[in-house]
Amino acid sequence: MARLHRQPLCVASALLVPLLTLATPGWLGVAGVGPAWAVLWLLPWSLVDGPVSGALAGVSLGLVLDGLSIDGLTQVPALLLMGWWWGRLGRRARPIQRSLNLGLLAWIGSVALGLSLILQGVVMQADALGPWWRSWAWQTTWSQALITALLAPMLVSIQLLLWRRRVPA
Amino acid sequence: MAPTQWPGGSRWRGFLRLWPWLLLTVAFLLVRATKGAGFADAYALLSRPFWPGPAQSEWLDAAADLETKAAVQLLEADNRRLRALLGLQEGGKSQTDRSAAVISRSPRGWWQQLELGKGSIDGIKAGDAVMGPGGLVGQVQSVTPVTSRVKLLTAPGTEVGVWLPRSRSHALLVGMGSSRPQLRFIEKDPNVRPGDLVSTSPASTLLPANLPVGVVQSVDERAVPAPHAVVQLIAAPEAIDWVQVRRR
Repeated sequence: MARLHRQPLCVASALLVPLLTLATPGWLGVAGVGPAWAVLWLLPWSLVDGPVSGALAGVSLGLVLDGLSIDGLTQVPALLLMGWWWGRLGRRARPIQRSLNLGLLAWIGSVALGLSLILQGVVMQADALGPWWRSWAWQTTWSQALITALLAPMLVSIQLLLWRRRVPA
Repeated sequence: MAPTQWPGGSRWRGFLRLWPWLLLTVAFLLVRATKGAGFADAYALLSRPFWPGPAQSEWLDAAADLETKAAVQLLEADNRRLRALLGLQEGGKSQTDRSAAVISRSPRGWWQQLELGKGSIDGIKAGDAVMGPGGLVGQVQSVTPVTSRVKLLTAPGTEVGVWLPRSRSHALLVGMGSSRPQLRFIEKDPNVRPGDLVSTSPASTLLPANLPVGVVQSVDERAVPAPHAVVQLIAAPEAIDWVQVRRR
């Protein structure tokens, strides 16, 4: 059974997520929207380390990222669900390593993250903001999903390669 | 593996395996509760060598002169109006500005915010107004000892009471996520047209009065229940390396 969470170096790599979230340059994005770094880290982690570890990592990352952003919306529910789901995929299916599959999973994760934020926005403030906010929210979701899916084959593949070497199944 | 004779003992061992993770989760909850203070401060420390140079700070000072001229005109008109009224708080209080470098920015995306390289040690508090070259860009939402987090005017849900000096009317500036916030009027006929200056409300208790904010770009007079307008901000957050924090 894989024990990625027992490797301090692998756990410490999660610190890159808040760092990259804060330091993302404007040019690394689509329409000014940067990638979902949490998705790009959580996907390989969950695939290698399983659903429980993936869900816990998703909650932890979500809490840290919520702490680093202005109040309002939370990423915790989406990252929790994605961590769990990707962990189950990693355990039950054959090892996922093709670029297209990784890109597709990252795209789904990013869209799910966007949908959860839209849902929270609709519940909390959509009446006040109206259709302008909704069109902006959809545009942000698609832009973030696109750049995340484009980066996933490169970044997720490298992480999978390194982590699977450290903890062979 | 043979099943254990004591299922309770197995659960206890399971808990022992889990406790470091529970501890870690508590640590993350603390990070959440402190608004990421440790992370933001560590980031400020690490990124200090890469902070923007002083060139734009000087440019900001030059722009501030221009802004002062516009603000003086607004203040004079405002003072004349206020003299006719009794009971309003005094204007013209001495205000102290603090220059601060922008160490992280996300002017687009879900959370539209700036991270500044100065915090409570420098006297910055939540609620302080943040000025870019020529106009208001947002308001400080939270502070750590060495960083401040600014919620931009464009962020969804941001609401600021504003004033249109030409038509002498009040309105509400609402962030929509896009780069141009929306201006909502209270009156049915606000007498506003493209090109009108928008400033903070002279009667505002949350922000300093008469700070330039933007210029009306277009007006939709047929909107219901009241007309609204689109505002082009004077200070675009995408290109700002330095800001001035106007302490209350």
